Amino acid sequence: MANPPAPNGESGAHHKHTNPVLVFGILTLATIFEVVVTLFHLPQNVIVPILLAIAFVKAGLVAAYYMHLRYEKWIYTVIFITPALFAVFLIFTLAM
Amino acid sequence: MHANENRKFGMWLFLSSELLIFAGLIGAFVLTRRSAFQNGVEWWEPNAFSLTLVSINTFILLASSLMVVLGIEAIRVNQQLKLQRYLILTAILGGLFLAGQAIEYSLLIFEEGHSFADPFGTAFFTLTGIHGLHVFVGVIWCLMTLLVARRGTFSSYNYTTVEIFGLYWHFVDLIWVIIFTVVYLTN
Repeated sequence: MANPPAPNGESGAHHKHTNPVLVFGILTLATIFEVVVTLFHLPQNVIVPILLAIAFVKAGLVAAYYMHLRYEKWIYTVIFITPALFAVFLIFTLAM
Repeated sequence: MHANENRKFGMWLFLSSELLIFAGLIGAFVLTRRSAFQNGVEWWEPNAFSLTLVSINTFILLASSLMVVLGIEAIRVNQQLKLQRYLILTAILGGLFLAGQAIEYSLLIFEEGHSFADPFGTAFFTLTGIHGLHVFVGVIWCLMTLLVARRGTFSSYNYTTVEIFGLYWHFVDLIWVIIFTVVYLTN
């Protein structure tokens, strides 16, 4: 049996999205962890990659779950990920 | 249906170009900082108050993104009043973020004596100022979306406008996540 047309002209079936409060909790905990880690005054070459990695994971969570990139058409992912990879490479290279 | 897809497609193209602009600005900040360290030029290190203030601001922006997501979830099931409430909360949280940034700027300028004349001020105010401008535009956009929502325009069959605003707002949040780490935590 065919699915009824999706509201709002969505192209795909209506996915059950991940609980946004859970994502918010993870983002908040990761931010607290980042701030706490800086209090230990670890060597720069140790702490900078860790902090940048956490920041990019957080940004990835925002893009995937808040911007719904995970559930959207692949073309949006390509459009956004291409410059994002360039940006990650640029920032990592300059910051290290 | 196609018009909605085209609008979203256009928004993603816009956001990808914005991403490159911010990549350049963050890169410029990191290079200026490195150059300052190498040449023995004075640089800024956030004190406990600054770090607390900016951490609260980060929490506020993350919370505002959650409000937008919950607003979109509400309109997906036709809960128009809920959408309006979440948009109001988003605008308030965006305003609080800007107020926090204004406090931070006033401390840096009037108490610590930084300005656009020194390398730190140039890099810091340019990067965070342009981000703040994006938040300001986002707050105005949020209020305009709220005005349209109050007319009952949006429903479970028509909420692409809210989604597009949401994409912009989350993008501003995403960029702040990176700025927060690069500017404040990796000094």
